[in-house]
Amino acid sequence: MTRRIEKVVIVGRDAAAWLVALGLQRAVGQTGVKVQVVELPSLLQPVDFYPALPSLAGLHALLGVPEAAMLKACRGVPTLGQRFVGWGGEGSSFVHAYDIQRPAIEQIDFLQYWVKARGQGLKIALEDFSLAAAAAKQGRLSDTPAGPDTLAGFQPGYHLDALRYVRFLRGGALAAGVEHRPATLDAIRREGDRITAIVLHDGTEIGADLFVDATGAEAALIGQMPGAEVTSWGEWLGCDRILAASAPVLRPLPAFGQVTALRNGWVGLYPLQDRTALIASYAADGTSDQDVLAEAAAAARVPVSGDVVVSSFEPGIRARPWVGNCVAVGAAAVGLEPLDAVQLQIVQIGLSNLVALWPVEADTMPEAPLYGAAMASHAANLRDFQIAHYRLNRRAGQPFWDRARDAGGPASLQAKLSLFGSCGQVPLYDDESFLAQNWSAVFVGHGLIPKSYNPAVDAVPPQEQMESFQKLLHVIAEEVRAMPTVETWLARRTG
Amino acid sequence: MVIVGGGTAGWMSAAALVGIAKPGLCEVRLIESDEIGTVGVGEATLPQMRAFNDAVGIIEADMMRRTNATFKLGIEFVGWGFEGSSYLHPFGAYGTSLGGVEFHHQWLRAAQHGRAGGIEDYSFAVAAARRNRFDFPDEDPAILASTFDYAYHFDAALYAQYLRAFCERRGVQRIEGRIVDVALDPQRGDVASLRLASGEEVGGDFFIDCSGFRALLIGEALGSGWEDWSKWLPCDRALAVPSARLDEIPPYTRATAREAGWQWRIPLQHRTGNGHIFASAFTGEDRAADVLMQNLGGEALGEPRLIRFAAGRRTASWTRNCLAVGLASGFLEPLESTSIYLVQSAIMAFLRLLPGRDVDPALAAEFNRVMDVEYERIRDFLILHYHANRRSDGELWRHCREMDVPDSLQAKIAAFGHRGHVQHYKDGLFSPPSWLSVFLGQGLRPRHYHPMADNLPLDALFSELDGLRGRIASETAALPRHETTIEDYCFAVPTSGEL
Repeated sequence: MTRRIEKVVIVGRDAAAWLVALGLQRAVGQTGVKVQVVELPSLLQPVDFYPALPSLAGLHALLGVPEAAMLKACRGVPTLGQRFVGWGGEGSSFVHAYDIQRPAIEQIDFLQYWVKARGQGLKIALEDFSLAAAAAKQGRLSDTPAGPDTLAGFQPGYHLDALRYVRFLRGGALAAGVEHRPATLDAIRREGDRITAIVLHDGTEIGADLFVDATGAEAALIGQMPGAEVTSWGEWLGCDRILAASAPVLRPLPAFGQVTALRNGWVGLYPLQDRTALIASYAADGTSDQDVLAEAAAAARVPVSGDVVVSSFEPGIRARPWVGNCVAVGAAAVGLEPLDAVQLQIVQIGLSNLVALWPVEADTMPEAPLYGAAMASHAANLRDFQIAHYRLNRRAGQPFWDRARDAGGPASLQAKLSLFGSCGQVPLYDDESFLAQNWSAVFVGHGLIPKSYNPAVDAVPPQEQMESFQKLLHVIAEEVRAMPTVETWLARRTG
Repeated sequence: MVIVGGGTAGWMSAAALVGIAKPGLCEVRLIESDEIGTVGVGEATLPQMRAFNDAVGIIEADMMRRTNATFKLGIEFVGWGFEGSSYLHPFGAYGTSLGGVEFHHQWLRAAQHGRAGGIEDYSFAVAAARRNRFDFPDEDPAILASTFDYAYHFDAALYAQYLRAFCERRGVQRIEGRIVDVALDPQRGDVASLRLASGEEVGGDFFIDCSGFRALLIGEALGSGWEDWSKWLPCDRALAVPSARLDEIPPYTRATAREAGWQWRIPLQHRTGNGHIFASAFTGEDRAADVLMQNLGGEALGEPRLIRFAAGRRTASWTRNCLAVGLASGFLEPLESTSIYLVQSAIMAFLRLLPGRDVDPALAAEFNRVMDVEYERIRDFLILHYHANRRSDGELWRHCREMDVPDSLQAKIAAFGHRGHVQHYKDGLFSPPSWLSVFLGQGLRPRHYHPMADNLPLDALFSELDGLRGRIASETAALPRHETTIEDYCFAVPTSGEL
């Protein structure tokens, strides 16, 4: 008779540890598995925040995280996308919005018609035909679910105060029955590729059948395991340092984050209910933290107040994120900069794959390579999405940006760029977090315009096409006008 | 646009170009020769065919009537896992998720308590098929009778004729003739024009090679390579013969394992298609013909016809300004009725990437990537049928059981055997229920089920299973007979002189 897993210990901190703890408690907590968190001291500071993609709402629903209470507790603000400023040179900007369904005319993607019209002199940007982008720019968002007569079927992402979000998740996990032990880690006891116990600073030894490493970039467990070294993505992603700070609250609240290119990286500005979070990501080589802070504040046009926190990271992925009985989630498995709100997405991908592959035996875990393959596949797609921003930049004469443009990219991204540049189609692979709509918004936003369009577009008479465009713009304007402002939207939920 | 070759692939390509693409998009010409026969073994289809017909603008009942078509709910595999076994791979799901896990984990769990019954008891499609009953699926997803899909059995030659008439009404120009020379553009290496036996030259911007195994353009003229898969799929011959129609027409294809291959049975309204696919390395043609003729369900209507083939595919079925569709682009035996699906899949991928006058290599690269995924996933699925067997007769079966299979398949078998894990993927045929059907049908049993299944109390599980089994049994018993639905919907009036 094989032995089932009786105990899982999550060693880690912050959102990764508590999302995974709550997720595992919900999935297997009632089947006789004890879920314990050994919580290491937080690396978060009051200035930190989490950007989240719309998919987080789906995870919250699965985990039973009440949305309204969460937003209130975390000073959360909904976001419909991100505005990129200066990536295409001074004065350039575009919005990558989170709507997922672009309209079609005669079953052909609207984009194809836009490419044709643009070639004939149309001056209206692609994003002006995106309901979410239009709503974002006016600080409004939809209050109603999608229907047959509306375009408004999209879910916002969130900006959340990090410390408050962790506190909220911890409360939910403890209420659900997760055991909690705050500690610092002293040593790991290993036999071959299995961890038998972890040793805490006070000498306590904690054993388990499965250990989850949610320690973030520290990778306190997986980093000690054989064969789990990091494959670096540094050749394509040049940033290796992050700076976090705060600025005063923005009024009215914008419904998007704003990401502005700097000399050696970028600065993001993300509205919260009581302040504005600021994050800069940059290459430490060739600049100082002080210079970046000054440049970032100037570029973002906000006064920065209070603490400023800097940290280092390395973009890359563990060759084996699951070794023996040790599974890495979040930044312990995949390191990516905070562009495109990917951090919580990586945690979510790890959690959902771990649940899908929850080991059936305590003593052997042949699930490990399946988990590794799934993480590698998901992460490569996220990585490519980030690299695309750098690869397509048009900031001439700045070494950081020139290098990024010339660095090429993985073949998987090259294929996307070539095909899109040719005909406006996006090859989608297995395990994509971003859909064709997202990829094409970013490609076009950064100035990659398809050379040709689907010849079938020519079958629609120009007059009819023009009327479709005008109707779409009209519908978008009408729908946006009917939407509440971010403040009203929040008030209706959080009271 | 010039299409080389008629047959199913050629006329489906032409129909898509004039039916889906807009009028006036391009001039479509199709060259075929009455002297050259078509292979026409693809008489059983997959449900995706319905979407193709709808998109092209074909009216289902009319098409069925003119092609002697019947409905198809799946494929019965007789004797594959071991002698005497039978399972049906249905076009539909087994049960629904229970307690947060896929249905089969709960089924495996119940089986440990002796309370599961067969997995087929939980498939609406299987239950209906085994009763020879058919009605159209319900559109309301909340209703049990919505949990399946259907395809057709039809006469592929009549389907090609039907499409030809459809195309000619829409302006496709058919050129009768045999191609004797392919001229390439000396600078670019593209296909420039074709010369017919009559001396006529046919030029075009883009060429679709539907010339079958011969691969006149893609292979002979452009030299696109061939990847051979016969080490995994050793069958290389087929003998085909029609027989008299069955007394009761079943709504499913049957594939029966034989000592050195397998035999198909495809029931049409007016006759039954039969064939014996075999490996020439393991049996002779005479012996194979005997096996076929001794195992017909009705009187033979002719002599068996031999077809030779090899499993494999073109490494680049879009090369320069030429797209290969159908057998010119690859061959996989019709064990899972994938031939026509692969034609459809190629055409639809092509339409998505439709080139202008100049062909950007990025378009071909994407097309070939997508088709690689399609072919490799089907290939693995077919190999599974041969590899997972416990038959004691015949060297073919021992060989297949012991051969090394592709790593991609080995990993799938291991994951299923360990914990019933079935991978989901975005592109390519065969969703998890299909893999589940064949894994279980071939005799694989997972050692474990997903531990999350235990979130559902056992008594609740048993009552769910009993209820579902009972509803499927009673609802399928109340369906009309397959033949009744055919008679009501698409009865082909027999004409004199037709087989």
